[in-house]
Amino acid sequence: MDHPKDCIECGTCVTVCPVEMVGGHAIVTFLANPDAVDYSAWLCTSCWRCHEACPTGVNIYGLMMEQRRRERAPTGYGKALEYVLASGLALTVFQEQLDQVRASWGLESVELPPLGLAQILLRTDG
Amino acid sequence: MKFAFYPGCLVLQRMPEYELATRAVLSALGIELNIVQQAACCGSPVVESFTTDWVYLTAYNLALAEQMGHDVMVTVCGGCTNTLARGLHALQNPDVRAEANRRLHPLSLSVAGRVAVKHLVQLLAEREDDVKARIVRPLFLRSAQDRPLRVALTNPCQAFRPGDVMGTGDDDPMQPQRMHRLVELTGAEVVEYGGEDECCGATLYLSSPKLSLAAGRRKLEAVQEADVLLHSCGNCHLLLRRFQRMIIHDEQGLRKQALFFPQLIGLAMGLSEEELGLREGTLVAPP
Repeated sequence: MDHPKDCIECGTCVTVCPVEMVGGHAIVTFLANPDAVDYSAWLCTSCWRCHEACPTGVNIYGLMMEQRRRERAPTGYGKALEYVLASGLALTVFQEQLDQVRASWGLESVELPPLGLAQILLRTDG
Repeated sequence: MKFAFYPGCLVLQRMPEYELATRAVLSALGIELNIVQQAACCGSPVVESFTTDWVYLTAYNLALAEQMGHDVMVTVCGGCTNTLARGLHALQNPDVRAEANRRLHPLSLSVAGRVAVKHLVQLLAEREDDVKARIVRPLFLRSAQDRPLRVALTNPCQAFRPGDVMGTGDDDPMQPQRMHRLVELTGAEVVEYGGEDECCGATLYLSSPKLSLAAGRRKLEAVQEADVLLHSCGNCHLLLRRFQRMIIHDEQGLRKQALFFPQLIGLAMGLSEEELGLREGTLVAPP
C-alpha cells in the first residue's frame, strides 16, 4: 500500500485508536511507520477517531477501505456480505420470525427488502 | 410531526425494546415515527469494505424515505447514521446521483438527496428544552436514593464523526457533549472516564472477537463506580449487554445493567417500564 503523501508520521492516529489500545495493529500502525508490515486494514472499530484527529487531513478511513478491497476478508465480514447479497440485510432475518418478535413487543410488522436487491444495486467488483 | 424511521438490521430484529423506547420518548415530544418498509442494510462497514457501490445501497434507503414524503429519517444506530449521512453527502455529487438513479430505476425509485439523517441523540439535543420540560422526576438507584444515579455513557461514536459530514455544529466530534448534557437533565450524574469518547469496540468483532472483547473489558473495568451503563447504538448494545457475559465470565463485580438512552430519558419523563421495553426490570427507581 502506498504511504499517503500528506501523512507526516506524527503518530496521533495511533494514540487515539481503540484497536492499538488493546494491542492490535490497525492501519494507523502503517501510517506512523511506513516500514511496518504487521497490521491489517480489517482491524478497526469504525470509530473515525484517527480520521478526525489527523492534523493534515489524510483520508484515513477511505484509504483503509481501499486497502480492505485488496486484502482477504476475515470470516465475519465474508459471512455478513453473503447475507447482504442473499437478502439485502447483514443478518439473517426471516419475515415470520420478525413479525412474531415485533408483535410480542406491540410493534407492527415490517416488510423485508425485495429479493435480488443487492444484485440490482451492487456490482461487487467495485 | 412525523419522521421516517430507519432502525437498521440489528435493531430491527434483535432489539425491539430499543425501538419501543424510542417511539415512546419521541411520542411524548409530539413526534411519530413511520418505519421505512423494505429498507436494506445501510451498507457499512460490511458492503463498503468490498465495493464502492455501497453508496447505491444507501441511495435506495434514502429513496424509500423520500417516497414516503419525509424530510427527516431518524436512526438509532451509530453505524447506520454514519453510512446514511455519508451516502447522502456523496449523492450531492450529480454524477453519483445520476448513477444511483440509473440503478434505482428498475425498482421504480429515485433519489434527490433531500432527506436529512438524524440520530436520536441529535434529534433530542435539538429539542433540549422540550426534553427538559417533560422531565418530571430525577432518577435514582433503587437501593441508594440518597444520591444521584451514576451513569457511565458510551457515545454512538459513528454518529459524530467525521465531524465535517456528520454536522456536529459546535460540539467537538472527538468529545461530543450532547448526550452527556441530555443525561444530566434527568438528574443523573455522568461518571467521567476516558472511554466515554472511545469506541466500545463492537464492530471489531467481525474481524477479531478477541480484540473486540478486550476493548469491551477495558471499558467495563473503567466504569466500576457507575450504577448503570448507557448507550444509544445497536452495536454498543451488542458489546455492553450481549457480550458482557463473554467478557467478564463470572466476575460479578463487573456486571452492570446496560440501558438504551431513550429508556433512561423515558423513565425521567415518567413513562412506565412497560412502555420503555424494560421487561426484566431495572435498578433505576420507578415513577
